[in-house]
Amino acid sequence: MSPILAISGLGKQFGGVTALAGVDLAVEEGEILGVVGPNGSGKTTLFNVVTGVHKPSGGTVLFRGRDITGLAPHAISRAGIGYTFQQAMAFAGLGVLENVQIAGEHRRAGGAANPWPTPQALLDFVGLSALGGEKAGVLPFGSLRLLGLALALATRPSLLLLDEPAAGLNDRETSALVGLVRQLPGHGITVCVIDHDMKLMQMLCRRLAVLDFGSKIADGPTEKVLADPKVLDVYLGGDL
Amino acid sequence: MKTGNALRSLLPVLVILALIAAVPLFSPSNRFLSLAISAGTNVIALYGLSVLFGQTGILSMGHAALVGVGAYAAAILARDFGVGFWTALPVAALASAVFAMIVGIPSLRVGGHHFVIMTFAFGQLLAIVLTNGGDYTGAATGLDIAGPVTLFGADMSDLTRYYLMVVAFVTAAAVASWAIIHSSYGRTLRAIRENEKLAASLGINVGRHKIGAFVVSGVFAGISGVLLAYFLGHISPSQFSSFPSIYLALMVMIGGARLIEGPLAGGILVAFLPEVLNLDPVQSRIVYGVCLIAVIMLLPDGLIGGIVRALRVAFSGKPKQEAERDAAPSEARQ
Amino acid sequence: MDIFIQQILNGLSIASVITLIAIGVTLIFGLTGIINFAHGEFLMIGGIVTWLAVSAGLGFPIAVVLAILAVGLMGYILERGLFRFTLERPTNGFIVSLGLIVVLQHVVVLFWNPNQKSIPRPLTTVWEVGGVRIASVRVMVILITIAVVALSFRMITASRYGRALRASVEDRDTAALMGIPVRRYITGVFVLGSALAGLGGALLIALFPITPFTGGTMVMKGFAVALIGGLGNIYGAVAAGLILGIVEGFSAGYGFSQWTDAYSFVLMILVLIVRPHGLFGGTSGPRMAS
Repeated sequence: MSPILAISGLGKQFGGVTALAGVDLAVEEGEILGVVGPNGSGKTTLFNVVTGVHKPSGGTVLFRGRDITGLAPHAISRAGIGYTFQQAMAFAGLGVLENVQIAGEHRRAGGAANPWPTPQALLDFVGLSALGGEKAGVLPFGSLRLLGLALALATRPSLLLLDEPAAGLNDRETSALVGLVRQLPGHGITVCVIDHDMKLMQMLCRRLAVLDFGSKIADGPTEKVLADPKVLDVYLGGDL
Repeated sequence: MKTGNALRSLLPVLVILALIAAVPLFSPSNRFLSLAISAGTNVIALYGLSVLFGQTGILSMGHAALVGVGAYAAAILARDFGVGFWTALPVAALASAVFAMIVGIPSLRVGGHHFVIMTFAFGQLLAIVLTNGGDYTGAATGLDIAGPVTLFGADMSDLTRYYLMVVAFVTAAAVASWAIIHSSYGRTLRAIRENEKLAASLGINVGRHKIGAFVVSGVFAGISGVLLAYFLGHISPSQFSSFPSIYLALMVMIGGARLIEGPLAGGILVAFLPEVLNLDPVQSRIVYGVCLIAVIMLLPDGLIGGIVRALRVAFSGKPKQEAERDAAPSEARQ
Repeated sequence: MDIFIQQILNGLSIASVITLIAIGVTLIFGLTGIINFAHGEFLMIGGIVTWLAVSAGLGFPIAVVLAILAVGLMGYILERGLFRFTLERPTNGFIVSLGLIVVLQHVVVLFWNPNQKSIPRPLTTVWEVGGVRIASVRVMVILITIAVVALSFRMITASRYGRALRASVEDRDTAALMGIPVRRYITGVFVLGSALAGLGGALLIALFPITPFTGGTMVMKGFAVALIGGLGNIYGAVAAGLILGIVEGFSAGYGFSQWTDAYSFVLMILVLIVRPHGLFGGTSGPRMAS
């Protein structure tokens, strides 16, 4: 079976600085893939290029066989790729329910059966149904992250890209989030998590890809990758 | 239940407009009617501005220029093609919408802080073009527009009848603006106001919708322009340059751009304040300016938003988090 | 050819005044993100102060100094009293400046009527060089501007304060972390920008009569120049001021004077469409917390 997302030879240069040096990466249908790497390894650039924030300098991104290289951010979302940001999580000035409503109104037509047919159902899923009437800006940080996840899910993606989804969360909140994300493949949503937090990645992913200086240096089952001397070298004295 | 809530938010405006429509029963002076008619034409334009600024978070300093396009379209149509009021109305609305698109596409491409300056420049440019347009635009003197306004065979040019017609148009503008606020389109615009990056990530074509909001505001402005042209009987470039645009922005912000009552309150207040306080035009302008500064510094939701909040505090004893669902006090941030 | 040189000179003298405004708006925007549209009214008030002083029998040089001091003081009061409360939301600062436009214009009208005001030319000599008539007053305006701009440049490039200022324009938060008293610099920039506008007003009324509504067009041109040069970029502002002066001079010299006011706007719109950050690159304002 062909991968849901096939990245090949993806490069990005900022001026003379190479942020991505021809990365190949395949995300398989139904998996939770982790993309790790130290700060400055090109993780965020990869995320930004795939989601259309930056145009790549070279290479292609195929989503279900369709070339989506260099599409605008909203077109990427409409193609069926949901994504969450580290910082911009929700519309602070609007109500929680209204946030989810908005997120569900611009998705592509059709698609598979929706596991969360109403905004309320989606709030139930992430455990925020009691807060539907509040303004998003007053939510505590942990709830805001969950709302951000709900917004991305409301677009009914078949692939979800999460950029440091657990940043700033405490242990309890992190495990709640992990519990939710693990359910997603069961609802037909493939997940790709981009983070440097190895503990989180070990909890979530069976497969890891490691970036360093804009290149992929390892890709495989989590335990194998973590035992790879090259990876250990990159992370020596780091988060491991 | 939700529709019920939404309808309830329209009710106060409808009640106020019904009261305003009943004013001719008390045989008001011609001066009052004239003031009210010009306030009314402003309010129609302000409803357009509130969609743009209040909902989408885009501040335009060229709104009077869009009104001007409508007014000049009506005058030129009447002069060159013998086209009357009712035909001019949709044509002028379209002309303003197209002009808004022509201004909007490059201005919004430039984006951000520069947008407001771009709209200001386009406004000034229009005034310069109209002034240098020779006989076609009547140069600095402007154009006359004669011709009666009739409705079902009745002559509407009579002051009281024109007043009632303007009130009807204001009501239509308020209802249209209310419908936008409570539609998924309105939610889309608010999403853009709150966070463009997040909005795009949810599949919203931010650029297209921003231009769309600008075009919608142009339709309101164009209709306002036609009503203004037929009321005044004479229009000139200086009415539509950037300073009138500043006054329109001032009115909508004093009233409160995000609330359905805001444009109505702002337009009426600015028109009648000098009468009530017995100020000459110079003094009243100073008062407007001070009001605007005070409102921005002290009441971020505008006067009406401030009153609503004060009432909430008075009745419930504590300030509620949200004064009104659509009147988010937090401002669009990048 | 003679007419041509003369018109270029005329264009440059007006461009000098516009450049003085542009430096003020570009610095204030760079540091605070506030688009201060009332800056044109600052200029107008500089002109009015000059007119009052000259009418009271004071000499033009003293009147210029008074205009600089008065408008500088006004900038200080407005920054302390109003603009500093809008630093977190620059849009509000912009709206406050709209209110100020209306207030300042009409306060002047209230006390000194809306009519044109002029002063006798401080320098009346007209030189004839090879058939070209050169009004010394225009040369004076250009020379004063060059001197003041050069002085500002020196302050900004060579002194410790200047380096700290440029660092603050570049990144306000980091500068603050480095111990630069950014708030005080903001006040300083407001005062400096206002003082330059005061000088601009004094020079303007030496060239032309002014009205209480002169500020509107002038500030638009100031912003046009600032945007063409790249908002926040002082070098860019000066270069763009030169370009505009020459373009306006050309147009007046070749019989399109009724379109003079349009050039700056058309130029600005075209430049921004092609290069949204201006010809010479600018900042997009201080980064706001998201």
